Amino acid sequence: MSQTQAIKVENLNKSFGTGDAFVDVIKDANFTINKGELVALIAPSGAGKTTLLMMLGCVNEPNSGTMWLGDEKVYEDKWLTKKTREIRREKIGFIFQAHYLIPFLNIIDNLTLLPQANKVKDSDSQKKARELLQYFDILEKETAMPSQLSGGQNQRVAIARALMNDPQIILADEPTAALDMDRSISVVKMLKKIAQEQNVAIIMVTHDDRMLQYCDRIMKIENKGIVFQ
Amino acid sequence: MIHLAKEDIRHTLGKFIVTAMGVGMLLGIVLIMMGVYRGMIADAEVLLDDLSVDLWIVQDNTLGPFAEASRVHEDLKYTIKGINAIDKSEAITFQNLQLPLANRKLAVLAIGYDIYGDINPISSQRLIQGRVLQNDHYEIVVSDKTLYKLNDKIRLGRNDYTVVGITHGTVASGGDPLVYVSLKDAQELQFTYTNKRIQTDRARGILSKDSYLVNAIIATLKDGYNVDKTAQEIRKWLHKSVYTRAEQKVVLTRNVVEKASKQIGLFTIILVGVSTIIIALIIYTMTLEKMKEISIMKLIGLPNSIIIKMIVEETLLLGIFAFIFGNIFSHLIYEKFPKNVLLEISDAWSLFFIVVISSIFASFIGVKKVINADPTAAIGG
Repeated sequence: MSQTQAIKVENLNKSFGTGDAFVDVIKDANFTINKGELVALIAPSGAGKTTLLMMLGCVNEPNSGTMWLGDEKVYEDKWLTKKTREIRREKIGFIFQAHYLIPFLNIIDNLTLLPQANKVKDSDSQKKARELLQYFDILEKETAMPSQLSGGQNQRVAIARALMNDPQIILADEPTAALDMDRSISVVKMLKKIAQEQNVAIIMVTHDDRMLQYCDRIMKIENKGIVFQ
Repeated sequence: MIHLAKEDIRHTLGKFIVTAMGVGMLLGIVLIMMGVYRGMIADAEVLLDDLSVDLWIVQDNTLGPFAEASRVHEDLKYTIKGINAIDKSEAITFQNLQLPLANRKLAVLAIGYDIYGDINPISSQRLIQGRVLQNDHYEIVVSDKTLYKLNDKIRLGRNDYTVVGITHGTVASGGDPLVYVSLKDAQELQFTYTNKRIQTDRARGILSKDSYLVNAIIATLKDGYNVDKTAQEIRKWLHKSVYTRAEQKVVLTRNVVEKASKQIGLFTIILVGVSTIIIALIIYTMTLEKMKEISIMKLIGLPNSIIIKMIVEETLLLGIFAFIFGNIFSHLIYEKFPKNVLLEISDAWSLFFIVVISSIFASFIGVKKVINADPTAAIGG
């Protein structure tokens, strides 16, 4: 097993429904994503991008295949652990189209919520949160509520939240969809920098071809399978 | 650790307070209902406690003046007093009257007693103005609830009575204020016919006589005598119904206020049930409003225990704040009720525990929603 491997899948399949309503979404997917890579995931709407992300994020269960996160085999025709939520909490960071911050928590609490659930000491999680806010240039907003921040600032907080648990993998579902061009480029550049500096594998779903130039590889869902451009 | 319930409540503090106040008013009514029940029991016992007698001798085969009509001869008190075990015995009457008050009538229970006798039903602690009765005729002592003042004249029957004393906290089991008149006046009011009736009776050859009837004889025992044995002796030899103080309390609480207390108890249970359902619905709505956040929390890996803790704590806090508001509300309004409302700390604690348990049950509906929440529901598919 490669030391740099973040995600590996073999013959991964996912379908929905039965009988006349049966539909294959992902069929025999095989790929490896390495740490430090920013990979774009592109496909037309409804092709299964989010379904793939949710399988890689241990949220939705595939129908068959094998999946590794880092060097841990987590799925082989069934989940090999019941603690998929613990895997998400410890190994995976999520970024969404909208920031999806908890509206009743201030910025610092939004960041420290997950580490505290991982039993990280309050002082350590606060220190890390402040470092990340500093890194994203929004430290002065640490006590503000999400409703008091702009869309771009909230998205930066959301990215910071995804980094709070030192993830091996970040799954980003159209993180720039709600941002204008300049901010979108800024966010993608930031993700690229994070992937390299933090040695994290990032899979980013995008519909915006202008963002592809900043990615290391482009993964495409084509005829229900995965191909790299 | 971040206290999610506290932060969520702080975020929607106004809404939370208004909701807690609304539920609190319901709980306040529950406390008032409990207070009405306590008040009824306390009222029922006021007269018994003030008289502080050991035995009630009443007409045979009746439950006594608190439950049904009872008539015995006044001179029975001498027979009773002759019994070795008896220390004091006196005749007493009870009568419902309607006192004229401004443009309306006020229902009261009038107690007639021998002002020269050994047993005075007016407790000195309850007499807040004036004096006890000192003349055989046309004096009256009234409860402050009647709103009469000292020296007011009250027309009763054919005569005007002067208010000579005012008591506080003297009420009958039904909640009507008590008034006190002399035994002679009471007998006249209760047993003397109208002039027209007397004329009619005379025309028929029936002679009206002064009444020597009373409703009960009350007695106290000498030290060292057994009250139950003495009561048994009187029943056996005088063919009267005899009740000890404890038995008379049972008559009052079981026979007189039982139905009312059951009704109040049922209302209380229904109100607690309604409050629980309302709390459950509020928590369900509050949980529904947070479904997106809950889905995100589950998606990023927060364990169910943290989210469930938030829901249960919010429900408990809502219940506790509602209970506090309920207490404040009930204490603000209880004196405005026409009947005695007795708010007791033990009842408040009982309600508190019921509210805590009900809140935990009420939170289950929100918890179920959390457990079933789909983490992917927050994002597009």
